[in-house]
Amino acid sequence: MPLDTSTYGLALLRVDGRRWNELRRIHAQIRTQAAADGSSYLEMGHTKVMCVVTGPSEPGPRRGAAGGAAGGGGGAGGQSKDAEVVVNIVIAGFSSVDRKRRGRGDKRTLEMQSTLANTLAATLHTHLFPHSQINISLHVLSQDGSLLAALINAATLACVDAGIPMTDYVTACTAGSTSTYAANDEGADPLLDLNHQEEQELPGLTVATLGDSDRVVALVCESRVQISRLEGMLAVGVDGCKQVREILDQVIKAQGQKMILEGTVDKGTGLNDMDLD
Amino acid sequence: MAQQQQHVLLSPAELAYLHSSLSLTPPIRPDGRSATQFRPLSAETGILPGTNGSARVCFADGTEAIVGVKAEIERTKRRWDDDGVYRENAQQHQEQEGEGKEGEGQEGSGDWVELTVEIPGLRDDDSGTAFLGRMLGEALLADGGFVGRLRVNRRFHWKVFLDILLISPPLSYPLPLLSLTTHLALLATRLPKLKSEGDEDPFFDDDWAAARYLYARDPVTKKVVERPPVTLLVMAVGGNIIFDPSKEELAVADVALAVSIGDDATATKTKEDEMEVDSSSGRNLKLLSIRTVDPPSRLTPPGVANAANSAYGHAQVVNTAATQKMPEARQTESEAVEGVWKPPRGGAKASVMGALVQKVLVKGGVADEVLDALEGVDTS
Repeated sequence: MPLDTSTYGLALLRVDGRRWNELRRIHAQIRTQAAADGSSYLEMGHTKVMCVVTGPSEPGPRRGAAGGAAGGGGGAGGQSKDAEVVVNIVIAGFSSVDRKRRGRGDKRTLEMQSTLANTLAATLHTHLFPHSQINISLHVLSQDGSLLAALINAATLACVDAGIPMTDYVTACTAGSTSTYAANDEGADPLLDLNHQEEQELPGLTVATLGDSDRVVALVCESRVQISRLEGMLAVGVDGCKQVREILDQVIKAQGQKMILEGTVDKGTGLNDMDLD
Repeated sequence: MAQQQQHVLLSPAELAYLHSSLSLTPPIRPDGRSATQFRPLSAETGILPGTNGSARVCFADGTEAIVGVKAEIERTKRRWDDDGVYRENAQQHQEQEGEGKEGEGQEGSGDWVELTVEIPGLRDDDSGTAFLGRMLGEALLADGGFVGRLRVNRRFHWKVFLDILLISPPLSYPLPLLSLTTHLALLATRLPKLKSEGDEDPFFDDDWAAARYLYARDPVTKKVVERPPVTLLVMAVGGNIIFDPSKEELAVADVALAVSIGDDATATKTKEDEMEVDSSSGRNLKLLSIRTVDPPSRLTPPGVANAANSAYGHAQVVNTAATQKMPEARQTESEAVEGVWKPPRGGAKASVMGALVQKVLVKGGVADEVLDALEGVDTS
């Protein structure tokens, strides 16, 4: 179904009723799975992903190409001084509207795996765990655009839950532009957080930043877009990342408070000013 | 089962200890359960609005699975007959059997169901994963009525895609978990209500509230009348039969069996009509399929008795050329010594297999308990 972009100019509202700078509802949970070292569940609109982190642990025996090629390894190999980040994305057959089965060898999945592995390998303190492996397994349960952004956010939460030291949160968000590439509209507004319909029609990019800073750790743009529009899209995207960071931070703080109240962990010395009620 | 074996890191002495404690009467299991007790689980259904039916089950040991069911309408394949008249292959198949007693609406073909299993860290064409998928699919198809439910009319049918995801790392053999999750997802599966009649191109009611359940329910009480099969994992150690074994327990199993059972609803109904018995007093269980699972115990390293251990000091030196070349040969020949682990060799005895199946099918037994527990899950 083609997206009618002409109506945007009238009310400045997008197909799902958002304004240009509004995120979709983000709901996240951490520690969803008892058996894993770290786990998270994240919803960005109707995009729903689950993440399970195992490790840092001793790397298992390599079985042919299964570990290296399909795993999307980032960082360094098992024998080096840094831990290897292995990302495995499973896109469930039922996740899209029409069932479409994607095998392990799917090119798009492989690319997302390696993007994610490289992004996290740059942020996690992998030098603290020599000769080991951090396994990040992601399950896509439902997709409605901004998939890579959701995967990055979920992986960040799960790594925090697993207690793997990292520089700061890596948060990601998508940004787009209100008219198509072909329209060659110089005055097109940038859009924040694209859904599936917008992603199909409009140019868009995924940007991931480090914490509160403007430092971009990952930038993926798979569509054609005029260079003049890029700056606006990037600025909106980076701003969106900051909003996402606030939300993820709230989730982690809430979980931390809950764990202290339940007595799972001791209240640290630096937490005296924290409001627990 | 090669991938199973990798995860079991128990020494021969530990295996021997586990084996002997599981062989006691009553058996002492590492997690303190009784022989017939399942791991506690939490379950929910209808978690994914984008699917026709979905379920999520978490076992207490932290393993978790999600199953999503999606259905698509598909044109029924027709096949040319020898006499030049083409028919639906399913109907023809039935005629060849010579008995049309099932009537229309019951026939179907196995490729109307597609089942995929995803286990993190394993390739989807891994032998273990493929075997799991086959076992789960087999049980579903063995329950003859299932594909019949997917029939729309003579020209069209539903094609059902079952995607089974194991979310957690495979800590134990995931068969019971995946089977229970599939069971719940199928129970929660709904298909749009058909509006067209006869053999017209199908046309459906777009009101989801009017959708009918794949497994029929009582119109008044909303209780499930028919139910999909469940596959239980049972193992035998010594003289004991143990249900829902954990990974460690499976590592010392003499025999492991995957038994699929169904609830024979028709039999229960006729019986109820006759005697008005309370339905909770026991179900008419129907055996659908049995598969032997190759337990990882067969690949465990055997222990060495003190008498044969040269490192221990007082062993006689048996380093002849033959035994040095084939240490395996020496180990298989050695007799069982109390307290020394020896992997089970050879097939299972028929009496043990019989006892295992008997124990699953016994009225008011574990299978009943499991089905009762699953009934408690809200699938509306």
